[in-house]
Parts: sequence; structure tokens; C-alpha cells
Amino acid sequence: MRFLAERLFGMVVTLFLVSVMVFFIMELPPGDYAERYAFRKYSGTGVTMTEQDVEAIRAELGLDAPALVRYGNWIGGILLHGDFGPAYAFDTSVNTIIGDKVWLTLGLLFATLIVTYLIAIPIGIYAAVRRGSAVDYGLTVFSYLGLALPNFLLALVLLYFSNRWFGASVGGLFSARYAEAPWSAAKLWDLVKHLWLPALVLAWSALAYQIQTVRATMSDEIGKLSVTAARARGLSEARLLIKYPARLAINPVVSTIGFDVNRIFSELPIVAAVLGLTELGDLLLKSYLDLDMNVAGAILLMLTVVIVVMNVFSDLLLAWLDPRIRLGG
Amino acid sequence: MLRVENLTVSFRTDEGRVTPVQGVDFAVAEGRTLGLVGESGSGKSVSTKAVMRLLPGNAGIDPASRIRFTDRQGEEIAIEGLKPGARALRRLRGGEIGMIFQEPMASFSPVYTIGNQIVEAIGLHRGLKGAAARDLAVGMLAKVGISNPGARVDQYPQELSGGMRQRCMIALALSAGPRLLIADEPTTALDVTIQAQVLELMRGLQRDLGMGMIFITHDLGVIAQIAHDVAVMYLGTIVETGPVRAVLKSPAHPYTRGLIAAIPRLDRIEVRLHPVPGDIPSPSARPAGCPFHTRCADRIAGLCDRVAPPVAKLGEGRATRCHLYAERNAA
Amino acid sequence: MTATTDPTPQARPETPAERRGRLRRERYYSASQWRLIWWRFRRHWAAMVAATILGLMILLGLFAEFFAPYGATERDRSYLSGPPQVPMFCDRNGCSTRPFVHGTKTERDPVTLRARAVPDPETRNHLRILVKGESTRILGLFPSGIRLFGLENGARLHLWGTDAQGRDVFSRTLYATRTSLTIGVAGVLIAFVMALTIGGVAGYFGGWIDSVIQRATEVVRVIPVIPLYMGLAAAMPKEWSSTQVYFAMTLILGLFGWPTLARRIRSQLLSIRGEDYVLAARLAGARPARIIAAHMLPSFTSFIIVDLVISFPYMILAETALSFIGLGLRPPAVSWGVMLQQAQSIAAIEQAPWLFIPAGFVVLAVLAFTVLGDGLRDAADPYAEAR
Repeated sequence: MRFLAERLFGMVVTLFLVSVMVFFIMELPPGDYAERYAFRKYSGTGVTMTEQDVEAIRAELGLDAPALVRYGNWIGGILLHGDFGPAYAFDTSVNTIIGDKVWLTLGLLFATLIVTYLIAIPIGIYAAVRRGSAVDYGLTVFSYLGLALPNFLLALVLLYFSNRWFGASVGGLFSARYAEAPWSAAKLWDLVKHLWLPALVLAWSALAYQIQTVRATMSDEIGKLSVTAARARGLSEARLLIKYPARLAINPVVSTIGFDVNRIFSELPIVAAVLGLTELGDLLLKSYLDLDMNVAGAILLMLTVVIVVMNVFSDLLLAWLDPRIRLGG
Repeated sequence: MLRVENLTVSFRTDEGRVTPVQGVDFAVAEGRTLGLVGESGSGKSVSTKAVMRLLPGNAGIDPASRIRFTDRQGEEIAIEGLKPGARALRRLRGGEIGMIFQEPMASFSPVYTIGNQIVEAIGLHRGLKGAAARDLAVGMLAKVGISNPGARVDQYPQELSGGMRQRCMIALALSAGPRLLIADEPTTALDVTIQAQVLELMRGLQRDLGMGMIFITHDLGVIAQIAHDVAVMYLGTIVETGPVRAVLKSPAHPYTRGLIAAIPRLDRIEVRLHPVPGDIPSPSARPAGCPFHTRCADRIAGLCDRVAPPVAKLGEGRATRCHLYAERNAA
Repeated sequence: MTATTDPTPQARPETPAERRGRLRRERYYSASQWRLIWWRFRRHWAAMVAATILGLMILLGLFAEFFAPYGATERDRSYLSGPPQVPMFCDRNGCSTRPFVHGTKTERDPVTLRARAVPDPETRNHLRILVKGESTRILGLFPSGIRLFGLENGARLHLWGTDAQGRDVFSRTLYATRTSLTIGVAGVLIAFVMALTIGGVAGYFGGWIDSVIQRATEVVRVIPVIPLYMGLAAAMPKEWSSTQVYFAMTLILGLFGWPTLARRIRSQLLSIRGEDYVLAARLAGARPARIIAAHMLPSFTSFIIVDLVISFPYMILAETALSFIGLGLRPPAVSWGVMLQQAQSIAAIEQAPWLFIPAGFVVLAVLAFTVLGDGLRDAADPYAEAR
């Protein structure tokens, strides 16, 4: 139990530090929104702006307070009200802009994770058990390819081929019919149908890496004395493999869940741009172009929070699976 | 109970074919312990692993070998003919023949409790599940001398001390109820006082359960304490067999003599120790004729380095493979 | 009855085969650590191939001005979006000892009504080695006017075709190789220096310093790099020149790449600290500096080199990806990512697939680094089994 408490406390500390860091990044671009707002407000009206006008706008928007206060407001708004502040570039609040996309992104993330682990673990185990077979060599080649071929190129290639073979509308998360429609079971199903391509692309290099890891660990474990001892006790080969080495082969996979999430989020904007998906990454691009740091910062914060939470989750899962970690041994 | 005849095991390695065990014969009877003695590399472990068919994939048992085991129903089973995944083999393993290993920590899986692993064996071979199995497990732990077995059964292997782990391993092997126990250097990794306790325990268990036992070790002192009969192995062949007292008191084969002479003594301070001269050859570079001739002071030139010595019976259940005795026998 | 004679097995002189074996063993035992690594590495043929490929790439990139027939931004308006011109020896009109390509003539495309360059099978332009081209400076330092190859008659040779603005893909790819590889190197170097300092301090001192650094490392490690970069890219004024963006990019990539390396260095240091041979050195009276330099560093230098080599693909891919979506380098700078940006649409794939050639370079470079890293790792591990 102490273990759990330690990890949770560490998580809170990390989250706090991360929020400070994100805020710092948000503050980095020179100039703030007041100037551009003023420009937009007054341009075309023939009225010339003065410094005072800009100052007035700044005060009105609360942008002249010292950094500490602004940080406090921002974090307070998030933690207490779930409100990420106004989105200047879009004339509405950040929450409205981001809206559904959070869920879409999370959905994509989990779809990718499921695809990755569901494929990597059984195949890795199989390859280790059947070392030197054709499957094994094929997988080695595949894993090298997976590491080398960038995701966005793969996305492009897949898009081209699926277009050729299946017809249009494979890119994007929804077919035209459901894009703006309210949520329903049918829409959900449409989403699932479209998720597989992005999930596959995002899972691609993670798959290659994890298959190798599982295979290597499993190979190691199969050779250990505990496996021979179990065989000497009369366990059937299948039960034996699953109960003993496989359980340990999963460990490295679990421990890298956080890392995988980090990488998936990192590649998301690129793949999204290529495949034309409408979720957070795409939004990030737009906000960058419009210098709306509130939106950018909010997105960055959300992504990082998910990563931190998944990191802690992977630690806890690992401890649950492996008593050696729990006992501090 | 167990009869092994003409056992030859070879491995396919990158360096070619290696034959660590050649033409080995031994037998174990109920209630008796056979001690298998030899240096590292003499083929002791490989022979017993062959009995349980636990050899790795690149190993092959020669078709002329015979491994016959009589199970508790009185049936004689030809182990050498069983397929690797056969149910009969799995039933034998654990249920009729048990095995314990040198490294107790390594033979337990670190992610399951001791109890879990014992109950698994019980379920497989005794057909008990749930509370009944757990009770049996706890009883087994008590029998091997573990204090507070009710609590220990839920602990993980790494929480126990070395001696306790070894006892647990014995408990685990015995919980399946085997009639033959193969112990592969179980006390080598323990310090001397614990070693004595574990040997005492194993002797007692054998008496109570009437098990047969094969005890592998390189330590003649341990053999003296635990074995009834002894077989001395060198480079994959058995060079001498016989009741333990007789062999230790008046060893026949030069190698056995060398081993005994090499033991440092506490009751006499000597200026020099007398190891057996030379090094054991690699199994891939086996000497022609008698495998020991390269290190033997009594070798007969022209004979020992060319012809493999036949088995010479020495009476009273003793035998040896040496030309020195074969001549006498032939005469 | 103990043996009175001591029979030694080797009483006769050694055979030539045994002598060879003994000499080989002696050489092996007395070789230094680096020689051993080199020997093992040489036996790993895939890694040798990878190293050769990388060496070639570096060569091509460094001396791009020599190998590339044209500059990176030169436009050939007579050959827009033109397909690759492959030199051949024979065509319908017979064969020649010198390779040649067909000349071009402009035609109007019947569908788009745009002027297009098509090969003219009647004219031949022969290939020439060491042609005089525009004067330029190799690496910006050495003036040179010679190019490796070109066409006679001053005609233009586009080995890999041109893009929509008439720029030669082959030349641009070579220049892009230089840029992409140097960004990789610079990024890794920055990350390495930071990781060495931070990880070294953490690993050497331990204690609360270590804990604080651990926490900081975790915070930096947790932030996803590309979204972070996108956020920071907003801070880069649009007026910056391409060189400035280049430097900023390497800086950012390097600054956020140190956590992984630092963790490795720290854990290596921590585990080595406890090793017996360090203790032995301390007991023998060696000063901390000597302990670190002579005892600790050599044992993990090989691991660190492997880590460095493996970090390259990450940097290269990051830059390529960012440039691909237009957030990275700006023209006139050219990198693989920048070139691929023009190949983004499906239309490009169908009509001008040669624009994808830089993708092959990316894959090749990443593969080569990965295989090289694997080979180095196998060679550097003293406990790995012989292959």
C-alpha cells in the first residue's frame, strides 16, 4: 500500500511541475494576444490604435497581471471549473474548441494500445517458442522495417493503397454522413470502422519494437531453470509456457506503456495531418498558426497529463504483476 | 525400479557432434539411494535428465539405449520410446519420478507463491484441489521441517533463506508423491551446516516414504552419508560401481583411488595435497580407448589407449571398467 | 596407493596446428579492449554493410557540391515535373560505348494544356565525367567548378527527375542528405552533452541530488516532443532566416532528447560505482578523477556509443516529420522532410512518384543506424556468446 501512496504522491508532484513547465512554454512567444486582438478589432475601421488602447485591452483581458497570478488563475480555472480559459483566436472558450476532440484522441490512443499489445504479445511469444522458424525470421525483418519506416510515410502509402482498393473515405475518422451528426450507436460503429487505419499506422513502429522485446525476454525465460523444473513436475508444455515464461515476458511491455503513449502522442499530429483526421493534433497545428497559446497550452497539458497518468498506471500494473517489485527486491 | 542400459546421449552443437554420455548402465531399487559421483563435465546431470527426458532440443538419445521404469501399478515403461509431449511422460514426471535441483532459487518461479507452485503439482498428480490441496501443501512443508508452514505457504521464494528454499523444493517434489527422487547436486550451493540438516532430512524422508533416490554430487563425503550404492562417472562412462562402504574403503578403479586420495584430511596435516593429475578432456575431444588413460598412472601402453575396457565384475555387487581388472577376470 | 609419477599429457613437441592455435589464443588474450570490439564487429556482416552505407551517405552529403550536377535551388524551366532520365547504352537507333540520355523537347500536354518536357528519341546527349559546372564552394570553403558528371552540349541531366519547380531531385537529395544528417549529429551532440553532465552528476553523487535530478528528468521526459515543438514553433518569429530555424530546431530537439540518455548514463554509473574493481581501485589509493577516467569510463563508453548511435534515427525522424508537415526547416534550406513535403498529396504519388526517392534515403539511413547500433552493441558486450 505504501507503494501505491508513494507513486500517487509522485504523480501529483510531477503533474504540478509539468503544469508549470507548460505555462512557461505558453508564455514564451513574444508579444501577447492583446496586440493582435487590437489589430483585428481596429483594422479596417480607419481608427489608428495607440499604445494606450492596447494597454486598455490588455487590462481588460487580464493580461497585465504578473505571471504568478496568471498561472494561479489558469490552474485554478482548470482544477476547479474544468475551464481552460478563453481561446482568443477563435473568439470562444478553449473548452468549446477542443470539445469532442479529447474523446476522439483518447479513443484513438486506446485503440492503438490495444492493437499493439494484442498483436505484439502473442506473436512475440510464438516467435520465441519457435526460434529459427520462417515466422521468426520474417518477424525479424518486419521489426527492422517497422523501426525504419516513419509512420507518416506509412500513412501515405496505406492511404494510397486503400484508396485504390477500397474506394474513398478511408481517411478521416468518420464518413461524410456522420461527421457532424450527434452521437449515436451508429456513429460509434462508424468511428470504430475508421479507427483501424490510424491505429495501425500509429501502432506500426511500436509493434515492431515490442514484438522484438517480447521475443527476446521470452527466449531468455524459456531457458531458465524454473521452466525446466516446471517441466520436470509434469506440466504440459502449453500450460507451462503461459504460466511461467510468458508472465515474465510481459513485464518489459508493461513497463514501457508510458513510453509508448508518449510516442503515440508525439506522432499523432503528423499522422493526423496526413490522414486528414480531425482531432487534437490537427487543432494544435491551427493554434500554432494563429498564435493562440491558450489552446496550444491546454492541449499540451492534456496530452502530458494523460502520459503521466499512464506512466503511473504502468508502474502500478507492473508491481501487481511482479511481486519482486512490490517487495523491493 | 529404474533400469538404465547402454545410455548414450549426443548433442548437435556448432562444433559438431558431442557425446557427453556413452554406454552408461545403472539401476536403482526401492528404498535405496544410488550416488552418482564425478567431476563437472562427467555427464552425471545429462544422464539423469535423459531419464526424465528433460534434455534440450539439440540433444538426442541413441536408439540402442534403454530406460525402463516400473511404475506403481507394476507396469514397466520404456521411457526411451515415449514421445516428448506424451501424456504418459507427463504423468511420470513429478508423479512417479521427481527431481530437485542445485539452485533452489532458480527452480522456483519468482512471481508465484510457494503454495501456488506446490498446489499446482498436487492438482496435477494427486487430483486434489482447493482447500484439500492447500492442506496437503502445508502438511508437506511441515514434514520437511519448515516452521510456521501455514504462513510460509503464501510467501514468495525470494522471501525465504537458502536452506528453507531447498526444503521447500524438496516439499514441492515430494508433494506429487514420486517413488523415485533424482537429486541433482541439491546441497552443493548450501553451506556445510545447512547441508548436514538437509541430508538428514532427505535420509529421514527416504526411510519414511520408501523412495528410491539418485543423488548426484561431486562430493565424496556427501555420498558416504547418503548413498547405499555408488557409481563413479568419468567423461560420460561409469568407471566403477558398488556398495558405498566397499568402494570407499577399497576403491578399484585408478580414478576412484585418485578421488579419494585427493580429499584433504582434517586428521592429518600433510605438506602437499594430491590432486588427480591433468585435466578432464573436453567431451568433443574424447581420448581413444579408456577415457581415463591420459591421466592414469597405471595405464598399460598399447592397450589402455586403444581398446575401451570391458566391465569387470569384482564380486559382492561391485564392478569396474578397467583393463587392470579385466585381465584378472578373463583369467 | 598414490601415483608416484606425474604423467603430463604434453610430453611431445606441438604440431603446427597446435602452434597456430596457441598463437591465436595469445593474441586474443593480450589484445586491448578496442581491438577486441573491432574484431567482433568485423564479423557482423550486416553491421559492416550498414557502416559502409552510412559512410557513403556522409561522403555524398559532405561533398554534395561535387557529386551533384546542379545547385539545390537551380530551376530548369524547360523540364518541370519531369520524370527521371536514366542513362542507357542502346536505343532503337543502335548502341554506343558511352552512356547517353535522350534530349528533350517541349510538348503541350493534351489534357492540361501545359508545356511539358518529353524525351526526344532522336537526339542523344552523352554523359561526361568531371564536367565543368557552375563555380561554387565545397562545404562553403573550397572554391571548385568541377562536378562529377554532366551532359555534353550543356544539356541538363536529371537522373531522378525534377519537381514542380524544375529543381533537380538528385542534386537536392544530396544536399538534403547533408542537412538531415547534420541536424541529427547536432541534435544528438547537444542531447549527449547535457545527458552526460546531468546523468553524470546524478550517478556520481547519488543522494538527494540524484532524487532532484530524477524528478526533473521525469518531467522533461513526459512531455511529448512533437506537440511540444509545435507549441514552441509558435514562438519562432516568421522573420527568422532558415539558418536560424535550423539552429533552433536542433537546439530544441537536443534539449528534449537528453532524458533517455541521461537515465542510461546515470544507471550505468550507479551500477559501476558498486563494482568490486572500483572498490579495489579506491583501496589501492587512486584519486577519484583517476578512478572515473581509467576505470569507470572505459567500461561504459561502449554502451554510451551504442546509445548515441541509436539516438540518431530518432533525431532524423523527428526533423523529417516536422519538416514534412511544414513546421520544420524553411526554404531555401532543403532536407529530406522538406522534399517529402511536396510528395504529400495522392496526386503526387500517382503523377510524380520520383519525388518519393528521399523517403528511401530516410528509411535507408534509419535502418543503417539501427543495424549499426545492434552490431556495435553485440560487439561491445564482452559477455555475449561468439557468433
